[in-house]
Amino acid sequence: MMRVLVAVTLRGLLNRRRSLLMLLLAASPVLIALLIRVMGRPADPERLAAEVLDGLVVRTVLPLVALVFGTAALGSELEDGTAVYLLVKPIHRWRIVAAKLLAAGGLTIVLVVPAALLAGFLIVGDQGGGMQLVAAYGIATTIGALLYATMFVALSVVTGRALVVGLVYTLIWEGVLAGLFAGTRVLSVREYVVAIAAAIDPEASIRAGLDLATAAVMTVLVLVGAFAIASERLSAYEVRSTE
Amino acid sequence: MTAGDRGAPAAIELLHVSRWYGNVVAVNDISISLGPGVTGLLGPNGAGKSTVLHMAAGLLRPSAGTVSVLGQPAWRNPEGYRRVGLVPERESVHAYLSGREFVEFNARLHQLPDPRSAALRAIDQVDMAESQDRLVGTYSKGMRQRIKVAAALVHEPPVLLLDEPFNGMDPRQRLHMMELLGAMAAAGRTVLFSSHILEEVERLAQSVLVIFAGRLAASGDFRQIRRLMTDRPHTFRIRSSDDRHLAAALVADPSVFGVELADGTLEVRSSDYAAFTRGVARIARGAGVSLYEVRPTDESLESVFAYLVRR
Repeated sequence: MMRVLVAVTLRGLLNRRRSLLMLLLAASPVLIALLIRVMGRPADPERLAAEVLDGLVVRTVLPLVALVFGTAALGSELEDGTAVYLLVKPIHRWRIVAAKLLAAGGLTIVLVVPAALLAGFLIVGDQGGGMQLVAAYGIATTIGALLYATMFVALSVVTGRALVVGLVYTLIWEGVLAGLFAGTRVLSVREYVVAIAAAIDPEASIRAGLDLATAAVMTVLVLVGAFAIASERLSAYEVRSTE
Repeated sequence: MTAGDRGAPAAIELLHVSRWYGNVVAVNDISISLGPGVTGLLGPNGAGKSTVLHMAAGLLRPSAGTVSVLGQPAWRNPEGYRRVGLVPERESVHAYLSGREFVEFNARLHQLPDPRSAALRAIDQVDMAESQDRLVGTYSKGMRQRIKVAAALVHEPPVLLLDEPFNGMDPRQRLHMMELLGAMAAAGRTVLFSSHILEEVERLAQSVLVIFAGRLAASGDFRQIRRLMTDRPHTFRIRSSDDRHLAAALVADPSVFGVELADGTLEVRSSDYAAFTRGVARIARGAGVSLYEVRPTDESLESVFAYLVRR
């Protein structure tokens, strides 16, 4: 039953123009890495790889792809009314949420993580230390994709303006406030991802704003909290009549 | 309203149910109890029909009162959907699936042992076998309605709720759907459907619930409801061997307060349905007139509805 839910959600997500746009967005780090490669070997490839992976993948591509898929996986069905066909089935609502975040998170991982790995490897080439850095970002991005997807799926059940709220969160909260006020970093998924990457490769030049313990605890809290909120809100979700 | 079998819980029961949105009262203290058969939920747009159906389907929480289906609470009870099928009013379906995939998807979510066979059977029931492999997004409005009904029927639920199910159907499809729903009711299922088309309700439903401004204006057999309206005249059209002579005899009867002869037909207005229908044959016989036809002219659901709404 979960399989069919995930499969139909994936078809819905991939059936639209946005999947092409997301593919282009996910491919952007690879294109930039190719450009770097074509222009010649950089002086410090490991540092450059960290800058591309942090600045482009973790700060931009990952949250945007997760935002689009996360809010569409369930939110678009709630908005257009097709979610009724899921809600009137003998399925516990947490299973619906789980299927939706698996689809959205899985799709984000499939698009973003290979792109991050490929971009990283293209920049660092055959440098041993650089490989570890790229692997660290690969693992951290995978965790980040699941985390963002869960959060945005939950957001789509809570509000009909999930895309806007999600954009404000990633651009304003994570993009601006987390840089200005250290306290806000505790509620920034981006900071958790960077902290996890830094913990996996402590030798690399990754500037983390949080320590691993805080990032790990917050990762679990946000994951469990967002999932619980989404499940509860969907259990009490009311389908207003069109009258 | 009539309930289910003696001792068994009613198929659908609303007890003192109200639902409001902020300051707007959508449904106001409605109590109904339905058993097997077809019941039509009738009312103008915005009367509260969909709100009642959504509460019965567990998609809306009642602000006050209780809603139960087959003895189980409707709200926050996913297991209850094993015995309930819903055809929502909104047209939207998963447009990127074919008709068969859509119905099979619903069957799989119901965790049926053989979802494919169940889907094919339901598709066949709604006469959509020929178009089952086309994408739902390419369907006409009527076809979408039918595939939605197939999705609701796929697990053979004892209770079927349909919100404006005949929207967009052509007359042939409409007739077919009426026969299907009638057959389901004959097989002991409870079918509750909403409509603002009086003719549909009149043709299909054994009983009606008339909702107006969120209140239950009337319930039961609509002909019986009509007869209870003693403060409104009943009009009959009569054909006989001598209309003029019969008119003179009828006007002397206390149950008759008006007769009219126009265009070769005799129209009689009576304030007492039962007394008139019992007495008309006797009066005609006494006057030596043969009756060819006695037909109530205002017993359509439309007239009942119009009267109730005005009241």
